[in-house]
Amino acid sequence: MIDIIHAAYVQVAQVCWRALPLLFTVFLMLAFCIPVHLLQGTVPTPNIALAAVFFWAMNGPTFMPPWAVFLTGLVQDLLSGTPLGFWVVLYLIAHGFTLTQRVFFRGRTGIGAWLGFALVTALVACTSWLMGMMMLERWLDPMPLLLEAVVTLGFYPLFARVFMLLRRMLTTAPESL
Amino acid sequence: MAWNSRRNRSSGLWAFVVQNRLFVLLFVAAVVLLSASRGQGELTALVRGASDDVAASAMELVAGPAAEANRWIEGVGTFLSVYEENQRLRDENARLRMAQGELGELQRKVRRYEELLRVPTEAPVGGVAGRVIADMSGPFVRSVLVSVGREQGVVNGQAVVDDRGMLGRIIGTGKRSSRVLLLTDLSSRIPVIVEGANLKAILAGDNSDQPTLEYLPPGSRLTAGARVLTTADGGVLPPGIVVGIVVKGTTSPRVSLFTSERRADFVRVLKYQAPVDVDSEPEVPPPAAPVPSTVPSSAGGAAVAPLPSAGLTTAPVAMQVEGVQAR
Repeated sequence: MIDIIHAAYVQVAQVCWRALPLLFTVFLMLAFCIPVHLLQGTVPTPNIALAAVFFWAMNGPTFMPPWAVFLTGLVQDLLSGTPLGFWVVLYLIAHGFTLTQRVFFRGRTGIGAWLGFALVTALVACTSWLMGMMMLERWLDPMPLLLEAVVTLGFYPLFARVFMLLRRMLTTAPESL
Repeated sequence: MAWNSRRNRSSGLWAFVVQNRLFVLLFVAAVVLLSASRGQGELTALVRGASDDVAASAMELVAGPAAEANRWIEGVGTFLSVYEENQRLRDENARLRMAQGELGELQRKVRRYEELLRVPTEAPVGGVAGRVIADMSGPFVRSVLVSVGREQGVVNGQAVVDDRGMLGRIIGTGKRSSRVLLLTDLSSRIPVIVEGANLKAILAGDNSDQPTLEYLPPGSRLTAGARVLTTADGGVLPPGIVVGIVVKGTTSPRVSLFTSERRADFVRVLKYQAPVDVDSEPEVPPPAAPVPSTVPSSAGGAAVAPLPSAGLTTAPVAMQVEGVQAR
């Protein structure tokens, strides 16, 4: 009986442990909704969730499995007011694309990883632009999307550092537990 | 060779699908969810309202410090130009003092004319005050979250203003929070009037900072700097809320808004009800009285012969015809 309880406890603890990247991403997404307008609000908010999806797909897909990507997209849809499923589809595309190209990106840090993220950001920006026009059935100015993509790209090295700290904690802590 | 590479590529994709069945399943689920939520049904609205409430609970904790941080950020900008700002305010104060006297006189005149013309006075528009607690604007939707919801009597369509002018309209309500669609959003359309020229138009957002003026009468001439106000057309918005000023656009005239999500902190949701008297249920006329037997049937037929063509009156008339014919 004690063994079963212990096994269940370990199972639950593992799920919680693996959900930490998702919870941290959601926390950051909420934090970026705080209405503090640096630079008079001229710079759009970076797409923190896309940075997280790319980082974890490249540096540890087990920490952000497809269901976690699905939930991240759902949270983004609920926060931003887009139709439910819009960002879910886009993040799953980013996740899938990064997984298939992982062999090229794996082990790369700095400029290599950044260029990989630039590729994924461009793919997501183009797809979201086309999907947005299809959903709204009208022409969309691509400039706001382009600006958001550039800002997200600019912020990526900072996000990657923070995520790397979390990854180190996640990979080293279980042994010490 | 080309066939081989294509086969390799397709087998690689198939291998990916086989290895990532959960991913494929979730992708299909996401596409289905997207197709289903396009209609923005009642269930979607409920889910959004509930999620907004959850987000609002977290955001309210930091709304105060965030507003303070904004004031500090703005303060740093104005600190460098404090002397010029002081001079400008002194000049403006002098101008406003002069205008104040004229305003009082004009108000007295207007009140007197209204009394003479028996113009019905408009009841003051009530409202509920709240705070902008989250800015959720993205490249597709421009909206903010405010800290008042259904519990405070907020409903969809109500106008949201701050001390400078109109910010947007309520498009979704939670229990204690509401989502405001900004005037700059691609889907935002409100009826407005250009002061001075008295031209009515539709203010249409296009995700830029300056929405356009559409459906202006052909050949209309606008002056840059003319104020744009809301009108009560459609019975949704209270008339006379300041929106912005007319500026020249490349293809059509645009409006520089007085306020935006970047400036708004405390806001007011206006509970406006259009003064339109429409009976909730149309009065159904009583069934036709039986025609006395002394009246010749031809006379009854003549009385109802010219049937009106208007659809609304067709039913009662038809009933009369049937009543007469039944006799």
